[in-house]
Amino acid sequence: MAEPLTIALPKGRLTRDALAFLSRAGYAVPSNGDNGRKLVIEGPDGRLRFIMARPSDVPIFVEYGAADLGIAGLDVVREAERDVYEPLRLPFGYCRLVVAGKADRPDRPLRLERSPRVATKFPRLTEAFFRRRGLAPELIVMSGSVELAPLVALADLIVDLVQTGTTLRENGLTELRVVLESQAVLIANRASYRLRGEEIRAFIDALAANVTSDE
Amino acid sequence: MPAQPFSIDRPLPEGVRDLLFADAAAWRGMEAALRQTWTAWGYREIILPVFEYADTLATDVGAEIDAEMYRFFDRQGRTLALRPDMTIPTARVVGTRLYDQPLPLRIAYVGSVFRYEPPRAGRQHEFGQVGVELIGAGGRAADAESVALAVAALRAAGLPTFRITVGHVGFFRGLLAALALPEKLAGQVRRAVDRKAEAELAALLAEAGDVAPAARAALLGLARLTGGADILAAVRPLCLNARMAAALADLITVADLLDAYGVADVVTYDLAEVRDLDYYTGITFEGFAPGLGFNLVSGGRYDDLVGHFGPPQPAVGWALTLDRVLLARELQGVVQAEPVAAVLLSAAGCPACLSWAAAARARGLQVEVDPLGLAPDDLWRSARARGIPRVVIHDNAHTLIVRDATGQRALAADDWEEVTRWQNR
Repeated sequence: MAEPLTIALPKGRLTRDALAFLSRAGYAVPSNGDNGRKLVIEGPDGRLRFIMARPSDVPIFVEYGAADLGIAGLDVVREAERDVYEPLRLPFGYCRLVVAGKADRPDRPLRLERSPRVATKFPRLTEAFFRRRGLAPELIVMSGSVELAPLVALADLIVDLVQTGTTLRENGLTELRVVLESQAVLIANRASYRLRGEEIRAFIDALAANVTSDE
Repeated sequence: MPAQPFSIDRPLPEGVRDLLFADAAAWRGMEAALRQTWTAWGYREIILPVFEYADTLATDVGAEIDAEMYRFFDRQGRTLALRPDMTIPTARVVGTRLYDQPLPLRIAYVGSVFRYEPPRAGRQHEFGQVGVELIGAGGRAADAESVALAVAALRAAGLPTFRITVGHVGFFRGLLAALALPEKLAGQVRRAVDRKAEAELAALLAEAGDVAPAARAALLGLARLTGGADILAAVRPLCLNARMAAALADLITVADLLDAYGVADVVTYDLAEVRDLDYYTGITFEGFAPGLGFNLVSGGRYDDLVGHFGPPQPAVGWALTLDRVLLARELQGVVQAEPVAAVLLSAAGCPACLSWAAAARARGLQVEVDPLGLAPDDLWRSARARGIPRVVIHDNAHTLIVRDATGQRALAADDWEEVTRWQNR
């Protein structure tokens, strides 16, 4: 049996959908990928090896070739700016990266702000978004509970991922602008794409068949 | 020994590193093997300056490398830069100094180059490059020679497994012409192709509106045009204009030649390769090794560069990153032994021992003379601690005492047959 292809999967929000999707595409997946403590799991059919990684680490595993393939949110991939191929968008993990502020904030264009203080887990995308509009944001890089920042006057605005908007509403925040429409995306290591081209092509095709039949 | 390492208040600046003994030995070993290889192919080495005027070095480079240059001022306030690669200085030398020399010129170089870029895959801001340029030959034979030499070089550098992917900028440029997209959209298409983002291409085409069906099919099929030489036949029906057909014809010719060079088994083709589209003018190629997401070697045909410095000349060449080859070798289990002497010699009170050492060295043996005057047991402990396999101690005018892992024995001072067997490796 040939060496399995290694795929890095994000632990958390996307895990269940990613495993279900791979399963539908005909690959045997570990039954407890989400809850298990093991971080490297051999696939039951020996075709894939799974690395369960922090979502933001998936592009790093793939760029360095520790994993041949990876599934990550487009938001994470764009933020990471890693040199990887993105052969496929996958039909799950839909969400959007938005600028949000307190619901009672005066309704005026962002470009009239002086130098907004913005809390986010996505400093690179946030910086680029504001710079493109001629603003110099003051970034507060956080690793959790970003929506808390405006409530305690830590920040004027936040840039964060939103699925339904419930969390924002519950915290008295409102969505102001969309920075990025996100969904899950398949990424591939540049060297693996060449060195194991046929296997990776077959994998992409198997996944692609399920993407189109879903839509 | 100090309780605290001295480095605490003597940090290194970002982007540079020291190579210690085993690494340095591996590095110089690779350089020597590569030098032997390029010499065997008729390439001659030039030694280039480490810094030049920034304007010169920025000639015809992409915005990316331009932004990554280390710049500084001379005393007249002119902007200098550390070389970010060696192809441009080589082109300068050819254009300004060698323009009337018989062609073709086969030039090789080795040395450090400097770029402000995040350390990735074994490469810091300063990294080691070895490269070759074949100047004054515009044909496919020159293209194939360059690729075949890249394969020979990686083999000589001791890398067991790697793959070279060959593409051609003419194919994608021709396809862009056939698509006739507005400039902005063309840029987006190019970036999507660079990331092999197939789904994005479909969306971009939808945005473009009326695109000829054949061009649409060719763009969407691009990601599949990668594999062994056999895929080149499948590409023919996708050629929409003379430019694409010419690029394909080039690749087919190169593929045949590479077969003749006996390197076809490590070469694949990728028609969707759009890296450095503005710099290259013909074939492009990159070398990859398992477990390393970045290219080890990168090259192609760049017929427009030399003309910036003198009479235009067609040119093809590549540069390899030594740091990455070193890392790739390690990932594939190539172990570099720690360089170590074959003998630790006690010469205290024995002038004759020094002439024995000289005679042993002349026979290629690495001999360390103990400068501390250690007693025999201490001498043996010192040798063991440093991995030296044996000690030699003076006994009398005709006899030496040898001690190694098997014990201690006498050795005639003129027994060179025994001594030459001690050579490391």
